[in-house]
Amino acid sequence: MAEHEGLLAAAAWLVWIVPFAAALTMPALKRWQGRVPGWAAIAGAAASALLAASLLPGALAGGEVHAQTSWIAAVGLEAGVLADPLAVIMSNVVAWISLLIVIYATGYMRGDPHIVRFWFWIMFFVGSMQLIVLSDNLLQMFFGWEGVGLASYALIGFWYRDKKKDHVGTEGRTVLGMLDYYAPTHAGMKAFIMTKIGDVMMLAGMFLIFAYAGTFGFRELVGDTAWAEAMGAQGLLVPALVLLFGGAIGKSAQFPLNEWLLEAMTGPTAVSALIHAATMVKAGVFLVARLGPIAFALGASGLLADQFFEVVAWVGAITALLLASQGMVNPEIKKVLAYSTGSQIGYMMMAFGVAGLSEQFVDGYTAGFYHLISHAMFKASLFMAAGSLLHVVGSRFMTDMGGLRRHMRKTYAFVWAAGLALMGAPFITTGFWSKDAIFASVFESGSEWAMPIFAIAVVTAVITAFYTTRMIGMVFFGPKSEHVRKLESEGHGIHEAPLSMWVPYGVLAAVTIAIGVMGLAFEESLHHLFGGYLEESFGIHSPHGEGEHPALPAPLSGLNPVALGASLAAFGVGIGLGYAFYVGRWIDPARFVASNPVFRGMHAVLLSRWYINAAIYWCFVVSPLWLARGVFRYFERTAIDAGMNTGLERAVGWAARVVQGAQTGITQSYLYVFGAGLLLVALMLLM
Amino acid sequence: MDHMLLQAVFIPLLLSPVAYVVGRRHGMAAVTWFSLAVLAYCTALVALAALDGGAEERHAWTGMFGEFGLALDGLASPFAIMIYALSAILAVYSRPYMEHKFAEQYREAHGEGGSAVALAEYVRAKSGTYHALYLVFAMGMLGTVLATNLIQFYVFFEVMLIPGFFLIAFWGDGPRRKIALMFFFWTHVGAVVLLLGFLAVGLSAGTFDFAGIAAAAIDPDIVLVAAVAIAIGLGVKLAAFMFHIWLPWVHGAAPTPISALLSPVMIGIGAYGMFRLIMELLPAAFSELSVWFHVWGLVTMIYGGAMALMQDDLKRLLAYSSISQMGYLLFGLGSQSVLGLAGAEMMYVTHALGKGILFMMAGVIIVRVGTRSISRLGGLAGRMPITATCAVIGALTIAGVPPTSGFMGEWLLFYGALETAVEEGSTLRYVTFGLGLVATALTMSYMLWMIKRVFFGKMPEGLAGTREAGWHMLAPMMALAGFTVVLGIYPDIFLGQIVPYMSGIAGAGELGPGTAAALAGAGAAAAPGGGA
Repeated sequence: MAEHEGLLAAAAWLVWIVPFAAALTMPALKRWQGRVPGWAAIAGAAASALLAASLLPGALAGGEVHAQTSWIAAVGLEAGVLADPLAVIMSNVVAWISLLIVIYATGYMRGDPHIVRFWFWIMFFVGSMQLIVLSDNLLQMFFGWEGVGLASYALIGFWYRDKKKDHVGTEGRTVLGMLDYYAPTHAGMKAFIMTKIGDVMMLAGMFLIFAYAGTFGFRELVGDTAWAEAMGAQGLLVPALVLLFGGAIGKSAQFPLNEWLLEAMTGPTAVSALIHAATMVKAGVFLVARLGPIAFALGASGLLADQFFEVVAWVGAITALLLASQGMVNPEIKKVLAYSTGSQIGYMMMAFGVAGLSEQFVDGYTAGFYHLISHAMFKASLFMAAGSLLHVVGSRFMTDMGGLRRHMRKTYAFVWAAGLALMGAPFITTGFWSKDAIFASVFESGSEWAMPIFAIAVVTAVITAFYTTRMIGMVFFGPKSEHVRKLESEGHGIHEAPLSMWVPYGVLAAVTIAIGVMGLAFEESLHHLFGGYLEESFGIHSPHGEGEHPALPAPLSGLNPVALGASLAAFGVGIGLGYAFYVGRWIDPARFVASNPVFRGMHAVLLSRWYINAAIYWCFVVSPLWLARGVFRYFERTAIDAGMNTGLERAVGWAARVVQGAQTGITQSYLYVFGAGLLLVALMLLM
Repeated sequence: MDHMLLQAVFIPLLLSPVAYVVGRRHGMAAVTWFSLAVLAYCTALVALAALDGGAEERHAWTGMFGEFGLALDGLASPFAIMIYALSAILAVYSRPYMEHKFAEQYREAHGEGGSAVALAEYVRAKSGTYHALYLVFAMGMLGTVLATNLIQFYVFFEVMLIPGFFLIAFWGDGPRRKIALMFFFWTHVGAVVLLLGFLAVGLSAGTFDFAGIAAAAIDPDIVLVAAVAIAIGLGVKLAAFMFHIWLPWVHGAAPTPISALLSPVMIGIGAYGMFRLIMELLPAAFSELSVWFHVWGLVTMIYGGAMALMQDDLKRLLAYSSISQMGYLLFGLGSQSVLGLAGAEMMYVTHALGKGILFMMAGVIIVRVGTRSISRLGGLAGRMPITATCAVIGALTIAGVPPTSGFMGEWLLFYGALETAVEEGSTLRYVTFGLGLVATALTMSYMLWMIKRVFFGKMPEGLAGTREAGWHMLAPMMALAGFTVVLGIYPDIFLGQIVPYMSGIAGAGELGPGTAAALAGAGAAAAPGGGA
């Protein structure tokens, strides 16, 4: 048995080491160029995925693997892997989705001259994410945390020549005087620095906890809660947790650090899929899933971290609505999907936050994590499909597409399947079940904020269904755009994407539906697993079992009727409106918006990103630069340089001239001065 | 081996005339290998002594000042190793850069018409002088950090100034003689203030030996005044805010290999002095002043970073960045906790690596592109991929992103600052901690922006023919870039020496619960392999 555990521990280490190793071999493959690096990447990703899968049976049985090794001995820190059910499931989601994206990317990036650099960073990205998932302590996790930041910086700015076609935004458009048009290198920098703000908060939170607990380890923090009591006594517990959550805000693009996510669309689409589905933004959610139970379990010792959970829930709710609303008007397909991601992550945060505010922690916890899984699948699928569209049409604007459904039948079908999951189409998609679980957990939480958050969740669901239908309508329905007709007239007919590209997103779309069909059973087993996990590892009991709702027919009795009703209604309204505007095209959206000043104003606000992006640039880019310029001109240049350097030189020169003036060479005047001096000394002595 | 430290300090000095002759007779290539061999040997001596758990040598000196001692302990060894390792590496790097510089000056003096033979003769003559000065410069820095006596410290402190002055005056850019004089003047002013502090301490204690001073009971008022004088004197060397007058000029104008030595290695000796002379020798004054160091460090950090944003000259940008980084060191020094102090020293190491790479990158661009104005650069990543990769690693090291060593310095530093804030319940320290942490975002901003403007984006016309640097320039950069990553993942190489030293220092204050728990765990683990 011990040997078996040793093997599992080795697998847990290798899950994240293998992708890094694959990344390091990439430069050596440079000479072969062509397809070899791609194969190596697939091999690395597949090996990592299989290793992750090997951990699955034990984790599903509720087991956990925890192995440590000496690391920074000078300060007594150890490195370790912690493969508990949470980490293993997450690790598998990351590994398998990454594998599909890697396969897709071999097609998408074919022929790129910088392919080695691309694969290096992709594998680095995957390895960093797995490091986050499997670390057993915060400091080691932070390595992965910054690793994904670094990889995103490198990949968002992958096309570093800043060619026009690689920009995002509409050329020439400004918001409050700020250009809303970004080059890849700018976008990469923006992502890195903005998430760094979150990381700074996270570090502060980590350090606060370490100062009291003397450990970064997740297990150790649960074992002995004296640290929390000491912090609670000084009122530092909630601030520390909120600061840690700051890291998640940055990495998961939650309000107010959400703006980097949109510009992240300058990266190759495979990268966008990776960022949105498997790595990067899910890191923040995972962090909350890691910390949530620790914080909640403190409640047993009388230390309530309610304010922490309130912050999480509200940040999630605000982000969900804020970003979904902007998704309704944006003309770029990838940006619509990006807004959608931020908004869906908001749902997850909302679920985790509400979980902590309710008695039934496991309900919200399961709901949030279930949504993470289903979102990972359908969003990866949608992004890859969007990549195919970009690839074929050669434009990021949906207004340059239109009427593509006859030419790209497979993509069309898969986008519908994944899109329906995003909208939460009832009973057959994963998205429906996971979103419904969130609705139910919010509704049943009994928190004082339950109703407003529930309302936001429902409104967001309507908007989600609307923007998804809009996207599908604009891309696949209606007349062909001028751009497409021009392409066809030039002989570049619209055609389906190659096999290596459509298979990955086809698979994911199919799995989305497959799991969706048996979604309730899936949810129940996840609920059961997490219930046991939370009980075992954190001592969090669930007061009662699955709620039964006799009002509903037997197969649906586990569902909350209000949540179900709201979910169905939101889907119906959203898709209905979207259909009317963009598929059926019974109403012209442009004319509708122009019809009265209120709509026009709303449209302008949404298209201008609620002015948040521009405000951030004014406050944190323009003003500091202006200030620094002022200090440079009027202090560094004048007081320091001119004052101390040149000033001193002048002063010495002047003094020299004065002294020089006295050296007349006339003996008589010297004698006069000498005599006067003598007289002075004599007088002083006499007095 | 006997007298390892004595050898390490004096061999470069004694062989410096030989370097001159070798250069004159056999040219740049020979003297480069000669210098490298000398410095590599001495680096090995220092490293071996450090691995051995440190070393201490004492020699009779004039009775007036005390003993002439050389000591390599947990504090000195990271400094000593970085000083010589970087000097050795930069000796190689100097070859293509200085050849370029000599040729440029030859053309200035003789016009384009000079014959190739005459040029070769000129380069040969100059290369001897350069390496002779270079060796003395390196040895002066090492002597300072190994000194065990105030007067000895002062002498070495001034010794490094003289070759520094000539190196800049001979081969700097722009108004090089004037700037060399500025360098000499300001650092000398600092040194004089320092000397006054030394005299106050030494005369009151009746001895100039460190060991004697630590044991002596000196009037607290004198201690405080002396500590302030020493802090000011070292502050000039460190280029802390308000005393940074000379640094942007000098680091901008010095020949690039020298900038790469001056900037991270030499000015950091100011921080070494603060550790050794104030923290260790004058603990009472240190605990009184530490919070001021903290604030001074914070201001320096932010000021240097903000000024770096405004620079168009690549080397000046890096110079301001060095000011900002020295702010981190001061900040950590002021944290007055074991891990914070350890982090500050780790920052010295990591800054030496990161800034070394970045100055070398600037040199590559000066040689290959012929400009140092950032606005005339862009998109070079495609033309010089290895340089670009190294530069990005260097920038990440400065910005403190894992897995580079920068993070290992930074997290200890800031954690230590927070721990003291928690211990003392001091609002001021909480605020400085928060602002300091936010200032890392500023550091990252100017670094990434610099990288973007130099290596990414559109390439200006005329740069399309730029070639990657040769191996003499690439290998040193790659060595440092590799080392920063190794150190970032396995920091015990230096932390194993630093942390035990810091936790043995009286001035380091009480252990916080976090550190106490951590060190208790470390005690068992570090004892066999810690090396100190």
